[in-house]
Amino acid sequence: MLPYRRALLWLRSEGIFALATLALVLFPHIVGWVTGSSPFGVQRGQRFIMSGESVYWMSILIDIFALSVLVMSYNLMFGFTGVISFGHAMFFGLGGYLVGIVAQKSGLPPDLAFFVGIAAVLVVSAVLGLIIGLLTLRLRGVYFAIFTLAVAEMVWIFFSRWQFTGGEDGFAYSAIPVWIDAAQSRLNLYYLALALFLGTFIFIRRLVGSPAGAVMKAIRENEMRAQAIGFDTLRFKLLSITAAGILAGLAGIIHALLAKKVGPEVLAVSHTVDALLMTIIGGVGTFTGPILGASGLTLADVLLRDASFTIGSTVIDVGESWLMISGIIFVVVVLVFPFGVVGTWTRIRLRLTAGRQPVSGPSAH
Amino acid sequence: MSRFTSLSLPRSALTISLLFVTLILYALVSSELRMGTFAITMMTGILRAMLLFLVAAGLSLIFGLMDILNFAQGGYFMLGAYLTYDFVHPAMGIFRFTGAIEVNLRFALGLVVATLVGAVLGYILERGLLRPLYKRALFQLVLTFGISIVLLEVIRSTWGPAAYGWVERLYLQDQSFTLFDQEFSAYRPFVIVVGALLMVAVIALLRFSRLGIVIRAGVQDPEMVSALGINVRAVFTTVFSLGCALAAFGGGIAVPYAGASNSIGSTYFLAAIAVIVLGGLGSFEGTAIGSFVVGIFWAATEQLSVRPEVGTVWASLAPMLLLIIVLLLLPKGLFGEDR
Repeated sequence: MLPYRRALLWLRSEGIFALATLALVLFPHIVGWVTGSSPFGVQRGQRFIMSGESVYWMSILIDIFALSVLVMSYNLMFGFTGVISFGHAMFFGLGGYLVGIVAQKSGLPPDLAFFVGIAAVLVVSAVLGLIIGLLTLRLRGVYFAIFTLAVAEMVWIFFSRWQFTGGEDGFAYSAIPVWIDAAQSRLNLYYLALALFLGTFIFIRRLVGSPAGAVMKAIRENEMRAQAIGFDTLRFKLLSITAAGILAGLAGIIHALLAKKVGPEVLAVSHTVDALLMTIIGGVGTFTGPILGASGLTLADVLLRDASFTIGSTVIDVGESWLMISGIIFVVVVLVFPFGVVGTWTRIRLRLTAGRQPVSGPSAH
Repeated sequence: MSRFTSLSLPRSALTISLLFVTLILYALVSSELRMGTFAITMMTGILRAMLLFLVAAGLSLIFGLMDILNFAQGGYFMLGAYLTYDFVHPAMGIFRFTGAIEVNLRFALGLVVATLVGAVLGYILERGLLRPLYKRALFQLVLTFGISIVLLEVIRSTWGPAAYGWVERLYLQDQSFTLFDQEFSAYRPFVIVVGALLMVAVIALLRFSRLGIVIRAGVQDPEMVSALGINVRAVFTTVFSLGCALAAFGGGIAVPYAGASNSIGSTYFLAAIAVIVLGGLGSFEGTAIGSFVVGIFWAATEQLSVRPEVGTVWASLAPMLLLIIVLLLLPKGLFGEDR
């Protein structure tokens, strides 16, 4: 095939992603240019003060990137392998806790502590994922859900009582290397988060597109049959939840870097529920669905946080009853909108193109 | 999975009594061999067992019949607790007209209201929300989980996040008796007696009534039952509604003793899961035995955690810990009944 034709084909299938990547890379500068603020913040002597529109929007996007990685990894288990976990946020929270603990309590210099923390997160997430998987994945699906719920609930109770990490209040994570500190060089953190986000997206697409991914989808459709064909389904499920656990742990690091604080709320079961909700709203078992779900709900939260609306005589404050609203959205979406935004869109497009396609060949007449 | 089977016990009078002897020994050790403390521990354990049974009975029936694990069951328990509390304490919440009624009558009426609300909400959940999803099991699980969140948040926005202790005095709470030099309020034996009566009633319903026969047949093979001309869907709805009503009643009867808080739902839910896994998913007599095991273990661990070198964290971790142990060691239940 001619090289330019190959490039054209690539552009046709991947062009939209390349364009989106470019837009995201340029995003802080574009916002800065439009609003007349600098993506580096305002310089005061030697330091940079993080103020201005560009910096504000960067923090929202970093949040979206971290959440998207969490939701994409959840989707790898739930959407592509058919394994349902109620404790996935545990990995996310442990990522933040580990990096924070290493930085604050070990006494290492910030730069070294940061990398040691990342290594610790990688190792602990992988080992924890493997252990949980090995212990429970050979049981019925519903046992895995219960087990993860119980473990997550225990870890949550443990961290909200543990005085070493500040109990329910959590602790401040301040010993961050300057080059990645959200309060001084947020642009660097933005690009780090973007890199993790893009890396996760590409990794999951390649994994699901690989032969191993085909087996995962077979497990989702019918595990017995996948076993009967001769696949050791346990191994593929383990691969799925371990990879998902590592990715969630890394996302937790980004979240902790942005918030500069670690508390037990990041590993609560309700955080897993958020991820589940975002997966379902975006589209279970799609690549872009989790990203849409995560960014849509985060933006809705940002924009509506201070809003309130009135039903009858009761005023409902969106920020305060956000959990209830998301719970109700959750139930409604599961009932009437089970394929999510992307899934429904794909279905509509398939139906349209199927109707439009000219039927060729002599048998058509 | 075969490596787990070896761990299951034969179901006989001997193994069951051995199990209970072990539990009682554990309770004795945890109360440092003091008879008064031991009596409290056992009493608390049996009381917990009754409450757990009320939550687990519905879970087990629903799971056996419809293959749904109803994650919202804890929410119904909690709703029952709050409704009853609210009904008896007219100063707070939604029932403000109840002040004129005598306290004990108020409590009884509150229990009735809680049970009815549980039954109606259970009916709505099964009929309106779960029925469209019978073809997609994963989404049913997700949906009941979503319902449990909505229930929790509705409770939190209606009654606030604070925990409530019981204030009004019931007749039974003022009566007391002495056992091993230890004073007991008469309310605990009352809960135990009511729980035991309900346990017998539910078992009798399953054993001897026509509905019970249909339910037991449905647990075996729902398609066959519907082929025989019985409306299985209607039976599903009845059982679901009954299970939720039992859980709400359990919450209502627990509240004078345990108080109402945002966390009792998930705590009792996880402990009830441990009960039904121990008893074997879908086996009803197993659920009854399992609730005693979990109830006594929980109370004894709580007693043990009072000692400073153990730490009170273990009291709140006990149900989860037991659930994890049970899932790992005895995933087919104590008696290895595979379904």
